[in-house]
Amino acid sequence: MSRLDSHDEFFIGYLGVPPQLKRFLLGLIPVLVLGALAFAFILPPLHFDHFNLGKRTKVPEFEGLLVGEPSPHLLVPRTGDVGTVSDFSLYLLSGTGKTSPKPKVLEHVDKWVKLKGTPFHRNHLTVIATKSAEPIDRPTSGPTQPAEGSSLGEFSLKGEIVDGKCYPGVMKPGRTKTHRSCAIRCIAGGVPPVFVVHNSVGDKLYFLLSDLDGKAVNDKVLDRVADPVQITGEVVQYADAFVLKADPATYQLL
Amino acid sequence: MGVAYKAVQWNRQKFVYDIILLTTVVFYLFFFEGISLHFSSDLDIKGIWIRAFGSAAFILLHVILSIGPLSRLSPKFLPLLYNRRHMGVTMFILALLHARDALAWYHDFGNLEPIVSLFVSNTHYADFIRFPFEALGGVALVILFLMAATSHDFWLTNLTAPVWKALHMGVYLAYGLLVGHVVLGALETNTHPLLTLAVGVGFVWIVGIHLITALREAQKDGAPLFGPPAQPKVDADGFVHVGSVQDIPENRAKIAVVAGERVAIFKYEGKISAISNVCQHQNGPLGEGKIVDGCITCPWHGYQYLPESGISPPPFTEKIPTFNVKLQGDQILVSAKPNLPGTPVVPAVIGQV
Repeated sequence: MSRLDSHDEFFIGYLGVPPQLKRFLLGLIPVLVLGALAFAFILPPLHFDHFNLGKRTKVPEFEGLLVGEPSPHLLVPRTGDVGTVSDFSLYLLSGTGKTSPKPKVLEHVDKWVKLKGTPFHRNHLTVIATKSAEPIDRPTSGPTQPAEGSSLGEFSLKGEIVDGKCYPGVMKPGRTKTHRSCAIRCIAGGVPPVFVVHNSVGDKLYFLLSDLDGKAVNDKVLDRVADPVQITGEVVQYADAFVLKADPATYQLL
Repeated sequence: MGVAYKAVQWNRQKFVYDIILLTTVVFYLFFFEGISLHFSSDLDIKGIWIRAFGSAAFILLHVILSIGPLSRLSPKFLPLLYNRRHMGVTMFILALLHARDALAWYHDFGNLEPIVSLFVSNTHYADFIRFPFEALGGVALVILFLMAATSHDFWLTNLTAPVWKALHMGVYLAYGLLVGHVVLGALETNTHPLLTLAVGVGFVWIVGIHLITALREAQKDGAPLFGPPAQPKVDADGFVHVGSVQDIPENRAKIAVVAGERVAIFKYEGKISAISNVCQHQNGPLGEGKIVDGCITCPWHGYQYLPESGISPPPFTEKIPTFNVKLQGDQILVSAKPNLPGTPVVPAVIGQV
């Protein structure tokens, strides 16, 4: 049996620490404490997705056209010279929790509304956690009628289905497996699912998902949320957003 | 020592131990938040706390699991073992805070109760890669709760030390579940090599140090690595030869396996006595203890027994089995049959044949 030293020191908790053992502990404990504390410095920078995180901005009211499909969204007219880009900005809509906007909001679908809520955005993807909406008159100036969607053809895209609320900024980074259950709850509750794709140069592209008829797919994609998947379907440009139309049954797990 | 179940028998060592422990935890959480916000002030604070609590609990669990084998390898580490239960309870509280925040953050505000959502949102229980890692953490938390809730000596005595010890061995199951929880959760998402390396090194360290300790213990017992343990030779009177008087330092013991049980054979004041190696308190190794003030003193928490009877000195009442001892010259012989706990035995006197 190993012994402390020739004096045969013996530690008894209620009597105090013998001198040689105390010297050993005075060396060991600081090393142990500093070793543990070192992880507080090492671990945070290892966290993934520190950049392009979502942000909450304080813009309390929006005026635009409320659209119901494939997922609730608001089309807000752009003012001034917009050049070649769309006349409208498209903002996804959710409720204040892991929900779709309230029925009192959705009853104004296809109408112009003044909408109150908290916007979150990540890159050019914005969601508004909608609190309320009230109908307003169609504006008399500026763009008032969005163009029909234009098909860009069929594409096969690899990416991840995220929920359109946490990912833009409510939770950060709001994607991958640790976020899967939350994303499933969000999408099951009516938050729009969004397909995130990285192109060949690393840019992020966002696609709203719809079935072949342009309807919402929320309940049909829950099993594929937060997994690497490949979706093949028709990409339709609508305002400044892309909609990927495909049968959820054809989504392929990678 | 069991005379009354006072809430906590505080002493200076425990105060110092707890102050170092809690200060370290507080500073860890404080630094973790500060460094996280330094790298990105836009990170959500809840997410930072979930990671801070979870990582603190996991690191602390590694420390807790290291103390046992280190103490077997060198008694220098015994002061860390002395108040390890407070470390365990602190670790459970950190794990609970991690679970509470994660449950609220990821599962609240939806169309299901959060606790239901935890188990039914991701149901790929048959798929390794897609496995719902949260469930592993949930089961581990239940084990840690049972351990924390029964950590007090009240439960130790009423469950009996062997049952209590078996229950607390559940920490190894919890550790395995938590390694799975981290690997299939955080590491699957965050594949930074340093993070993977840290978890891997931690796992190898814990498994390695336990294996080394187990091998050394088996070596000391003279047990083969494989196959049945060697049976000691029992003489016609039912005694087993366990070695020489010279093998044992004064006021210390030699541990020998007699009839499948470890026996502590102490030398003191020119006498030899043998008692069970298992302390009544937490089943600590009495043979690694010392005679202090005429009492065999357990190295773990200082529980004491009179060497001639295996009974704690009055007013305490713990009792452990004793063994009859005799000497042939300087050779020690111990009875292969233990006496009932607390049975007085006349010590063998050295030099008296």
